[in-house]
Amino acid sequence: MSDTAAAHEAPTSTGIDHKKLIMWLFLASDCMFFGTLISTHLLYRKLYPAGFTDAEGHQRFIQNLFNIELTSFSTFILLMSSFLMALAVSAMHKGQIKSFRRNVLGVIFFGLIFLGCQVFEFTHFYHQGLTIQNSVLGSTFYVLTGTHGTHVAIGVLWLILMYFYSFTGKLGGHMGALDVEVAGLYWHFVDIVWIIIFTAVYLVEYLGPNGIWGSGLPAVAK
Amino acid sequence: MSHDSHHAPVACKTELAPERSDLGLIRPDRSTGLIDWLTTVDHKKIGILYGAFAMFYFLVGGVEALAIRTQLARPDNDFVTARMYNQLFTMHGTTMIFLGVMPLSAAFFNFLVPLQIGARDVAFPRLNAFSLWTFVFGAFVLNASWFFEFAHLAGWFNSFEWHKALVYTDFAPANGWFSYAPLSGTFGQNGQALRFTGVGTDFWIIGIQVLGIASLAASFNFICTIINMRAKGMTMMRLPVFTWMTLVTAVLIILAFPAITVALIELMFDRAFGANFFNPSSGGQPVLWQHLFWIFGHPEVYILVLPAMGIVSEVLPTFSGKSLFGYPIIVFSGAVIGFLGFAVWSHHMFTTGLGPVPTAAFSLLTMAIAVPTGVKIFNWLGTIWGGRVRFTPPMVLALGFIWMFMCGGFSGVMHSSAPADSQQQDSYFVIAHFHYVLLGGVLLGLMAGLYFWFPKIFGRMPNAPIAYIASGMVILGFNLAFGPMHYLGLAGMPRRTHTYHAGNGWETWNFVATIGAYILGLGVFLAFVNLVWTAFRGKKCSNDPWDGRTLEWSLPSPVPEYNFAQAPIVAARDAYFEDKHGGKRIGTENDGGEAGVHMPSQSWMPLLASAGFLFAGFGMPMMAMGIPHAGWIVISGLGVLFIGIWLWALEGPGGYMLKTPAASGTPAPTETVAH
Amino acid sequence: MSSSHEAAPSPDFLAEEVRRYHHFIVLALWLAVVTGAEIVLIFLPLPVAVVLTILTLMSAGKFFAVILWFMHLIYDKRLLFWCFFAGLALAFATYTALLCLFSADRIDTRWFS
Repeated sequence: MSDTAAAHEAPTSTGIDHKKLIMWLFLASDCMFFGTLISTHLLYRKLYPAGFTDAEGHQRFIQNLFNIELTSFSTFILLMSSFLMALAVSAMHKGQIKSFRRNVLGVIFFGLIFLGCQVFEFTHFYHQGLTIQNSVLGSTFYVLTGTHGTHVAIGVLWLILMYFYSFTGKLGGHMGALDVEVAGLYWHFVDIVWIIIFTAVYLVEYLGPNGIWGSGLPAVAK
Repeated sequence: MSHDSHHAPVACKTELAPERSDLGLIRPDRSTGLIDWLTTVDHKKIGILYGAFAMFYFLVGGVEALAIRTQLARPDNDFVTARMYNQLFTMHGTTMIFLGVMPLSAAFFNFLVPLQIGARDVAFPRLNAFSLWTFVFGAFVLNASWFFEFAHLAGWFNSFEWHKALVYTDFAPANGWFSYAPLSGTFGQNGQALRFTGVGTDFWIIGIQVLGIASLAASFNFICTIINMRAKGMTMMRLPVFTWMTLVTAVLIILAFPAITVALIELMFDRAFGANFFNPSSGGQPVLWQHLFWIFGHPEVYILVLPAMGIVSEVLPTFSGKSLFGYPIIVFSGAVIGFLGFAVWSHHMFTTGLGPVPTAAFSLLTMAIAVPTGVKIFNWLGTIWGGRVRFTPPMVLALGFIWMFMCGGFSGVMHSSAPADSQQQDSYFVIAHFHYVLLGGVLLGLMAGLYFWFPKIFGRMPNAPIAYIASGMVILGFNLAFGPMHYLGLAGMPRRTHTYHAGNGWETWNFVATIGAYILGLGVFLAFVNLVWTAFRGKKCSNDPWDGRTLEWSLPSPVPEYNFAQAPIVAARDAYFEDKHGGKRIGTENDGGEAGVHMPSQSWMPLLASAGFLFAGFGMPMMAMGIPHAGWIVISGLGVLFIGIWLWALEGPGGYMLKTPAASGTPAPTETVAH
Repeated sequence: MSSSHEAAPSPDFLAEEVRRYHHFIVLALWLAVVTGAEIVLIFLPLPVAVVLTILTLMSAGKFFAVILWFMHLIYDKRLLFWCFFAGLALAFATYTALLCLFSADRIDTRWFS
């Protein structure tokens, strides 16, 4: 996981490790990435506030589809996984490899729970009649949250590999801590993207009679 | 004074003992020949490979352009079919932008940036190799569409069931380089995903996606290198302007490419899985594609032009014998151009009906971009003013750049006015404008760079008379080809039509343009032949034939693998020039010790990981063709990518020590140069 | 390069890590509380504009709390913050502009409402 050039010991011009800098640059770039996806979803919500039409031809409102309890639970899980990741990085900095392993297992476990919730949510929505093919809402929703889920899955895979790598004894010292910290940065970023998605995609649909996009429509039966 | 004596290498890496990676495999460090080039992590070799591929694709794109011009030479021509014409202009644009200009710029980034900042390599050498091979495979996938198209035209697919089931049989992309939806997308409700175009579009989608990954990876690497690996004393405001423009370009790439990445994912979902992002029959907004494309596409224009501006900013001071006039302003203008480049995307879409307020806003912002650009041009003129100008081939090309780029800039300001633009939209006037910018600007700039740095790259001097003739042909042919298009466009000739009828008054100038295009094509070909010949057989030259200003000229030509035997310490802007003609401005850092220079190990893994994109890139369009089991090719491609990255992580960075004369204490004979 | 022979962390460094540990715990609690408050907030009978403003502030607060503490930006060099902020600000500005460029009254929604 180390790929620094000749200068593995040499100080950098800014004093920032190459890997940390490149990860932050990647995250800056990923802001544009998720910005594009989120804005695609939001602008179609703005254009078509009414939701979607299911297979039987019934008009469906998004408030009746979303399950805010489930989403809140998975949001909470992801936030706590971020907390454990911070502890794992802290443990690595202190050279406590056992504590690192414990915390990272927790992160992996929470990440898998989040993914499980997402699979459940997708299946549920699909049975409710929202598909990627039958509406713009389905396309934007599944692709946005699915891309985020893919990011989570990559993070989980990364951490699993790192967990097993730690048993080889090669994950240690400054560079080992740096590798974990960089993986942590990625994980936290996935978390903050979800913080935005939770508010912008889920919560705002509950404001007013039909969510902020659909204030002009007849009220939904709750 | 010179530091040459400190740079002659004494150790050849092929003589070192083989070393095993953390996986137990022998590292390809001691390899030679083909394996050396395939596994190299040396930024100079990677730069040369980028350059070689880019020049090849320039010629491919040039042949496509000449086919277009041949078709348009006279009215009602039938040299190519309408469909082939569409494919030609699509692939011409895509090739020139993504496979010609961007990789050629990347070649300069790779070769020059570490040398100019006084570093021994880039921050992530293996990631750099990954960028190169990902670009190579992406380019290959994109151009493979031609082979499918020709195989189809030759009837080779006729006996296959999947071929009989195809509704559209265009195998090469034919949507234009922007692939506007809905033409590139789908129609029909509930996931029918009926299409307007065949698998050519799928080739385009996956090809651009892979090329985007290559550009992104390279850009992260270069920003990191420039920010983090500067020699001691090389403050940001002492960086050579080319390095500055590389930094701005790389920032533009990492912030602009995600938009097209997402747009391509959405388009892919539309085509492959029946999603509705741009599907007008299900409420998708095709105009969203235009927005997302140009959010990427306009910064892309500056991604193309800023490196050329950087090159010109190096060439002009060298051959005027003066330092660059207004260095801070040039750097600042470059950054402002980059920043404003994100705020003007909708000027490509004035005719879509944005509404009066957005139109006015984007119009004003577009005009504002002319200011920093104009500032740069005045600074370049100020650089030449009062200097002892030497009209060497790079200088001639750089001066051509200023002149041609200004012409392109003037017609650009005309477009920024929305009412004028609505008259010029989709006419040949636009073609004239962006070719003046991209060809008269970027190509001349890049050619200037090639002629300028070739003596450094290969230690050989290109033939000057041929270079002058080629430059003259390029500038003359270019103006003959594209000057008349201003007139043709204002006279109403539309873009992207495969032919035109006689009697519109367009015949003469089209014929002139075609003649010009052939002169231009011959000129570029001659220039490239001259360069390739130089690389192998050219006359050897000194290490500093131009009286250069920046650090790379302090090194021997060709540059040894480790670049700097001792890391330099820099005390001024244009330190090498000051050092030669003034007081001492370059010191050396005693960092090597007795062990020599630490070199990064070569690796197969970047190539392996990139090869995953080759499989995935072929698999996606084959799925769209309906070839059975093609999905497994995609999955195996992703598997190869994963395995490549995994082994890459596990093998460890390695590295070996290369003895330098500084380490051994004795100046060695130069014959032991490894390559 | 994972060099396994490292000097043991200095006491100062360990004290700093312990301090950060407490920050992390406090922050995790706050994140949970704010998320809970968000969920309650959307069901309160308040004007949409008020709720939306509070929601935006809360989610921005969580966002920056995570990048500053969990992602160490508050402890690290400031350059990293600006690197990230450049991307964040550009994304925010670009896509806010894009959202404003689309409006429902400029398109034909007859078939889709």
